[in-house]
Amino acid sequence: MKLLLLEDDASTRTHVARTLTAAGHVVDVCANGEDALFLATTNSYAVLILDRMVPGLDGLSALKRMRAAGVATPALLLTAIDGVNDRVEGLESGADDYLVKPFAATELIARVGALARRPPSVEALTTLRVGDLEFDLLKRNVTRAGRRIELQAQEMKLLEYLMRHKGEIVTRTMLLENVWSFHFDPQTNLIESHMSRLRSKVDRGFGTALIHTVRGSGYRIEALPA
Amino acid sequence: MSRLSSFNSGAFRFALLIAGLFALGSLVLLAVVDRSIEAYAQEATVVSLKAETATLMQDWPEGGLAELRDAIAPREQLAIEQPFQYLLLDAHGRRLAGRLPMAAAHSGWGAVAFADDRERETAARPEILRTLGTRLADGALLVVATDTFDVQKLRHRLAAFTIASSIALTLLALIGGYAIGLVFLQRLARVNGAVARIMTGDLAERLPTIGMSPEFDHLSRNLNAMLDRISALMDGLRQLSTDIAHDLRTPLTRLQQRLEAMRASASPEEYEAGIEAALAQIEEIHAIFRALLRIGLIEGGEQARKLETVDLSELVARVAEAYRPTAEDAGRRFSLAIAEGLHAAGDAELLAQLLTNLVDNALQHTPQGVAIAMALRREGARVVIAVSDEGGGIPPDQRGKVLTRFYRLDASRHSPGAGLGLALVAAIAALHRAELVLADNRPGLRVELHFPQAE
Repeated sequence: MKLLLLEDDASTRTHVARTLTAAGHVVDVCANGEDALFLATTNSYAVLILDRMVPGLDGLSALKRMRAAGVATPALLLTAIDGVNDRVEGLESGADDYLVKPFAATELIARVGALARRPPSVEALTTLRVGDLEFDLLKRNVTRAGRRIELQAQEMKLLEYLMRHKGEIVTRTMLLENVWSFHFDPQTNLIESHMSRLRSKVDRGFGTALIHTVRGSGYRIEALPA
Repeated sequence: MSRLSSFNSGAFRFALLIAGLFALGSLVLLAVVDRSIEAYAQEATVVSLKAETATLMQDWPEGGLAELRDAIAPREQLAIEQPFQYLLLDAHGRRLAGRLPMAAAHSGWGAVAFADDRERETAARPEILRTLGTRLADGALLVVATDTFDVQKLRHRLAAFTIASSIALTLLALIGGYAIGLVFLQRLARVNGAVARIMTGDLAERLPTIGMSPEFDHLSRNLNAMLDRISALMDGLRQLSTDIAHDLRTPLTRLQQRLEAMRASASPEEYEAGIEAALAQIEEIHAIFRALLRIGLIEGGEQARKLETVDLSELVARVAEAYRPTAEDAGRRFSLAIAEGLHAAGDAELLAQLLTNLVDNALQHTPQGVAIAMALRREGARVVIAVSDEGGGIPPDQRGKVLTRFYRLDASRHSPGAGLGLALVAAIAALHRAELVLADNRPGLRVELHFPQAE
């Protein structure tokens, strides 16, 4: 995928660009908002990665202008500020996701992946499918190989998020933010317990596991070829 | 700081301004008084000339010109101070009486120059007399004149007095202004000295009262109150940086040790394990920074503008359900008592963080098998959230200290954490103006959050 990276710190820029390239992306880099604005309006990117605080035209203002100019490309804001208002402001300025520095490389890659494959907003899905696992969104009904699986409300939300991002890595923070609206890291690892309960219902007793742990990163739901 | 001179001082300039205004006022007053004196003098002259003429004419119809002439003569002789001069001409224009020059010989109002030869000191100075000529029935002419000299003199004296007193008062005002300016500057110099000492680092120094007037003292007191506030903030900041320096030393030292151990290690497995451990250590340091930054932002009031109505029932339930599996896996009994439909003005995300911190604490500082309870209820007008455990609790004398940054109970020194959880809880509670109560749960700790008012 072709990505645009706006970052003024040379060392961070090189590192992030290298990480994304290693993950199979093509990355255009720039160090100020004006360049980012020019590149975003003249090229077609899958995801924009914008550092919020750069000299001159800052990332947030550049993004506002891009949106005003009709650029609808998903945007991920990088920031060193972790205030609630800052994130709200970022999202209101047209950002689709928000990542606080410092971040792990895997976190960035996972979020870029999630943004790039975000389906066009109007698409109305009624059923999610991964292998023989089916999630009927209207009836809130989950079946695997035709057998009904009883899930609690939170397990259902967790599964829905995983299935909406099937094949992609979903990190712990992404789950905390999207399933529980926790925009911070609790000291206790909450996800593991939820995930093991979900797995015991979705995977146990079936031939192949669908939910996979990605070491050091997070989880992925995927029907791997046997 | 630039030096001030008394001539430049506010008091001097003020005095200068007042003196100028006073002088201007005096001139206006002078002009007004002068005009009214003038008008009065005109009127008085007219009235007195008419009256004198009428008095003389009383005797005329019976006695004729001779009688009139005889009436004028003694009046002229009467006294030097006598205000009237006369001229009586017969029908042929011959002078019968009076000393006025012939130039005054016409009927009606007029003016004529006249030098009184009987008054030595004024002999040299002819004065202007006002005249009233009356044509008699037989063609004779009676002219009566009077001087306006006394009025002129009054006007001159008044003007001289006004100008002299204006100058005197102006000078006095300037001298006073200069003197007050000097005193004022001396006092200000003391204040400026205090300010200079504060700027060079003596933060305990306070401004002296300026004196002179209550408003200046009020200013001094306000500035001192501001300095007190700044000083308190600085102390907080200094404490924070000391705390940070102190408490980051532990994880940084561990990180250093790991890296040194890695340098000495040989196998790739050891390297990999070392890198993992070092990254975990760095994550711990980041977590401390994040928490500190959050606390700083919240205490700085950054979030204050974003309070909105929060559904506490939903929030507490969400946090509880997020923790239930983990708590059960960790061998704690988890119980809930949530009243429905309770709201409070707040920031949902910060309140969620507050609750997770409390539950994190309960999980970390209690042994297996104990009960942890979350409750939300209405108590009178207030809404109360309570998180309680049946663990070791916090001794009463330490309950205040645990709310400060980096404070850790001896019992928990060896469990993970940096001692920031409850400090963040306290900051968030303060932002919501909610009362934070640490109570004895007999056994264990009960943390209650009392929101000011249910909506």
